[in-house]
Amino acid sequence: MKITQFQLDALREIGNIGSAHAATALSTLLQRRIDMSVPEVWAVRFEELSAIVGQLDDPQAVIYVKVEGDAPGKAVFFFPVESAEIVVQLLFGSNEPMDLYMGEMAQSALKEVGNILVSSFIMALTQFSGIPLQPSVPALAVDMIGASLDAIFLEEGVLDDTVLFIDTQLTGIPKIEGQFIFLPEEGSLKKLLGAMGV
Amino acid sequence: MNDVITVGMADFKTAVAPILLLTAGLGSCIGICVHDPILKVGGMAHIMLPTANGSLGGNPAKYADTALELLVRDIMSMGASKSRLRAKMAGGAQMFSFPGKPPVLKIGDRNSEAVEQELKKHGIPLLVADVGGSFGRTIHFNVGTGDLHIRTINHGEKVV
Repeated sequence: MKITQFQLDALREIGNIGSAHAATALSTLLQRRIDMSVPEVWAVRFEELSAIVGQLDDPQAVIYVKVEGDAPGKAVFFFPVESAEIVVQLLFGSNEPMDLYMGEMAQSALKEVGNILVSSFIMALTQFSGIPLQPSVPALAVDMIGASLDAIFLEEGVLDDTVLFIDTQLTGIPKIEGQFIFLPEEGSLKKLLGAMGV
Repeated sequence: MNDVITVGMADFKTAVAPILLLTAGLGSCIGICVHDPILKVGGMAHIMLPTANGSLGGNPAKYADTALELLVRDIMSMGASKSRLRAKMAGGAQMFSFPGKPPVLKIGDRNSEAVEQELKKHGIPLLVADVGGSFGRTIHFNVGTGDLHIRTINHGEKVV
């Protein structure tokens, strides 16, 4: 599907509302201020992903949620391991470093963070479009960012030459940063845009 | 220090010893490494999906079957002998699992099966397959020695 500038603007608006909700949820959870950037909407070839995420083998925590319902898609929140460590420490009120790779406590905390972020994004989307959407349980990987993302995008064994991202940066105090991607399926995009009248 | 050429996603490169080929952050994707140990030339492809079947156009380096075809063609054009070619591969992981749901289509496994099959078709022996698991890999391939260096974040580092 060809995307017009007008539709890109509409998608940016979807991203704006969704991530504003997500940022508020994270901020409430951590009792810290979280800011978000104006979302970027990218229609890129998946191979050019490194232009968006940087070093493909950079260790990051990735929380992946499938969006089910009338306009299915995928929602992914990812942040550098250093940021993930801070988030987990804030959640547990601890100064001790926690093992994100093997520690079950830290991992389920991260999943919960992802769950809250993604759910609030999806709720905003549902309210805005009137299209019912439900998030799946979250899955987590703490590993090379390129490896995690390729597994998400290639999961079904198909790949359009162009992948559409709605991408927002969340930043906070202290030094927390993360990136949010919503990837609607092709049919879903039409429905979401249709519901918005574009 | 050897020079290093980076192979991106859905990309392939050839090189002459002592140049190293690198691809970073393999998840369900596979790095296929092929070389001629006598002539000391070789190449690497970073494939994403098993077969180009049914998808017209697009980038042929994305798929196991078409990428290997191109890789072998280019290595041969450097003077390599097909009967001397040797292959190694790494990647094909299953990075995520959802509780209660069996992984539907393990694309990593399908990728490694496809590479194996394509290598067989070309009659190229597969010496090493470091595939599967649930972790990412970054690999360096020495086209002269055939050494494949595999780095992971939390699952060790080795040369195979």
